[in-house]
Amino acid sequence: MRNLCLAATAVMVLGAATAAAAGASYTSDPQQSRLEFVGVQAGAEFKGVFHKFTSNVDFAPEALATSRIDVQIDMNSVDSLDKDRDTTIRGKDVFDVAHNPTAHYITKSITKTATGFSAVGALTLRGITKDVPIEFQFANQAAGAKLSGSAKLNRLDFGVGQGDWKSTDTVGDAVKINFSLVLKPQG
Amino acid sequence: MPNQSPPTRYSVVAQGFHWLIAALIVVQFTLGWTANFLPLGARKLARLDWHKSFGMTILTLAVLRLLWRLFNRPPELPAGMSGIEKRLARATHVLFYVLLFVMPLTGWMMSSAKNYSVSWFHQFTWPNLIAPNEQAFNLLKSTHDTLSWLLFALALLHILAALKHHFWHKDDVLKRMLPFTKSEKRS
Repeated sequence: MRNLCLAATAVMVLGAATAAAAGASYTSDPQQSRLEFVGVQAGAEFKGVFHKFTSNVDFAPEALATSRIDVQIDMNSVDSLDKDRDTTIRGKDVFDVAHNPTAHYITKSITKTATGFSAVGALTLRGITKDVPIEFQFANQAAGAKLSGSAKLNRLDFGVGQGDWKSTDTVGDAVKINFSLVLKPQG
Repeated sequence: MPNQSPPTRYSVVAQGFHWLIAALIVVQFTLGWTANFLPLGARKLARLDWHKSFGMTILTLAVLRLLWRLFNRPPELPAGMSGIEKRLARATHVLFYVLLFVMPLTGWMMSSAKNYSVSWFHQFTWPNLIAPNEQAFNLLKSTHDTLSWLLFALALLHILAALKHHFWHKDDVLKRMLPFTKSEKRS
């Protein structure tokens, strides 16, 4: 146990040393990380999550030029706490998971803001790639690093909603995304 | 409360509550029962959106109506009615009041259980009453559906009784709830 602690400390120190130079590499802990979306349906908000997603994060506040956030989302893992709705969401008119099983987000540039960071990245969703900005905070504590933030996108930009679902009367176009990535050093 | 003799007619307020809620219940049956036969889709959601907004309107009116009823004495039942008829009439009315609360409340809970929060005509969202839960939803839905049949049967009984009073007994039971009419003591 003691050796393990020592080893962990050594890894952390090494990690910190690398971070100063280029930016530390992390992956998100699937158990503790959360990716949530908030849509509006029939005038009321509803929340859902993606249970399965992986992220590779290279990040250091002082090396933003080489920092990068890369997230792969398993669209089948969508859960809006209603099986009927989840089936509809997975169907061809909405996510069309049969043809587009994953969504991908990768940042192109990250800048510092007054309250944290903002980034612009390319989101590939339902086969369409478009830029989506995100706002986030980064905290590197003894317990581990955490990256959390939010984004806003319009579902129809990505063709999410065909046929009847194109109408925004019942399901709003704007969707909020909230994420919280608990990061583990990679390697 | 002043100890006066009971009124011979329902007040304008009581009539307003009665006919407004009656009209809304007709709308609710139309929306609710037709939505039940639609597959999950934008049309079903839109119809249930109206159903839920009207349902919350009825619940609000039911609260106001009950308060009004508690502080305003209704006209008495005709003297010619037998004891059992009077008891049956009172039981019907009590059951109506119970359903005016139970129908919207089970509907509201259904929405919460399925994680479809209730909006009021897209103006604001009512809080969820219970946490999302599939079993609870199924139980609430069958309760809501079954009680809708009870409400239908009760409404039929109520209408037939009112017509019987008017055409058979030729008393003023129907007329005293009708606006723009005059009740003459006929019993």
